[in-house]
Amino acid sequence: MPNQSAELFAPEGDMTHQDPKAPGAARLESSLESRYRKLLHAVPDAILEVDQEGRITILNEAAERMFGYTRAEFLGLNVETLVPAAMRSGHAKHRSSYAEHPNTRPMGTGLELQGQRKDGSLFPVEISLSPNWIEGSLHVIASVRDITGRKAVENRLRSLREQYTAELTLKNEQLEARNREVERANSLKTEFLASMSHELRTPLHTIIGFSELLGEQLEGPLTDKQQRFVGHILQDARHLLELINEILDISKIESGRLELKRESFDFNACVEEVMAGIRYQAATKNITLENKNAFHDSLYADRVRLKEILYNLLNNAVKFTPERGRVWIEAARQGDALHISVCDTGIGIPEREQPSIFEKFYQVGDSTAGVREGTGLGLPITKHLVELHGGSISVASQPGKGSSFRLVLPLIQEQAA
Amino acid sequence: MKKILIADDKATSRELLRTVLERQGYEVMEAADGEEALQKALAEVPDLILLDLQMPRRTGYEVLGELRKDARHATLPIIALTASAMRGDRERALAAGFTSYMAKPVPLVQLREEVQRLLQTKE
Repeated sequence: MPNQSAELFAPEGDMTHQDPKAPGAARLESSLESRYRKLLHAVPDAILEVDQEGRITILNEAAERMFGYTRAEFLGLNVETLVPAAMRSGHAKHRSSYAEHPNTRPMGTGLELQGQRKDGSLFPVEISLSPNWIEGSLHVIASVRDITGRKAVENRLRSLREQYTAELTLKNEQLEARNREVERANSLKTEFLASMSHELRTPLHTIIGFSELLGEQLEGPLTDKQQRFVGHILQDARHLLELINEILDISKIESGRLELKRESFDFNACVEEVMAGIRYQAATKNITLENKNAFHDSLYADRVRLKEILYNLLNNAVKFTPERGRVWIEAARQGDALHISVCDTGIGIPEREQPSIFEKFYQVGDSTAGVREGTGLGLPITKHLVELHGGSISVASQPGKGSSFRLVLPLIQEQAA
Repeated sequence: MKKILIADDKATSRELLRTVLERQGYEVMEAADGEEALQKALAEVPDLILLDLQMPRRTGYEVLGELRKDARHATLPIIALTASAMRGDRERALAAGFTSYMAKPVPLVQLREEVQRLLQTKE
């Protein structure tokens, strides 16, 4: 019986006893059976039918090519011969369990299946099983696909992916290490600056203190000249102190360590406080100081930093305004922003220098003759502080007429922030 | 005569503070480090202490912590003096229990006023 069916499904070329040109052959060629046989042999997958005992009963040409057995060798061969030795023991059990639930399905889902050629070599396969009932006996049709090519591509892809992942991991680790280094350097810099600031302020404490003491002449009178000299020491020591503070500020801003501490406060009271702090300097030059603020609400901002912003601008205004000039602050709400202007009737800033004044250490050239030099850091710090608040700063000025520094600060609600 | 203890490891700073405060008519005691400050303050309770925060042996914070445990020093005016002047220093000092905080360099006018104010409040 097996031989009969094997004969039936043998490829035509094998049936040498039949001349395809003979009339009988022509009948066979055109028959449905013949067409099915051609179909079977045209399939690139190996197709095998196995009887209940596991013997191979039908096969196609692809099976011969794939496993290296001849047709004659195949017929009657136990299908387990095609299963690698390592998996052979389990195969019989799988076959009997298939008999309990015979349906068309892939074999060993999720497993890496392998076939074994006649020469003993192994190759990856994918197998689909279908039941075939023949006279009450369960035969199984196995469609075996050699997936060596696909596996090779998959393996190549996997190894590429692994390689990329490894490279990426390495790069990430390097990046993280670099980040840690930068962070460490940054924190060392901050620590260094903090301790440097402390070390510089300690001697300045006594330089300024003793100079003040001498200037007060409580320890004895000074000649005019001595008094002037002590005044110079004091002035330059205070200038040095200002520089130290501002360098610390700018380095904190640059390392991103300056954080705002926002709170709600009375804006006008804040303006008044800043003005009080500058009143003495203005008075010595007979400069009129005016508060023209029209915003009498509370502002949600960093109070200390806002005072610093206003103080820097007012201080500059007084510094660069000749005797009997005027300095004033205007402020009003416009939409969702607070517009503040610090204006003066001072010497002004030439147009060509206006874009540079917010740069670090920039000092306005000839026009500042006669004015004590600043640190060159006041405006850059002011600009940074304004920008930290989400605002902007600009200047409008006419030499000889005066300057006006305009701030636009977005009004932020406390809850929203 | 009101007695003020100056604790500062810098001799020039102590001399400056002593000169200013003696002129104001106060009696001045000195300590050159934290441990000495603590011993002197415990032995002879002053009316006010100027305590530098960065000192050898014991920091100003440690001295303050010890002193505040002593009933005689529980409400004594103790001023923190520091040259560090980082933002948040004042808040930290006041939170720790200092009565007041001054950053070096301290303008002499401010020093006199603050000492006077605290001694008056004490009375």
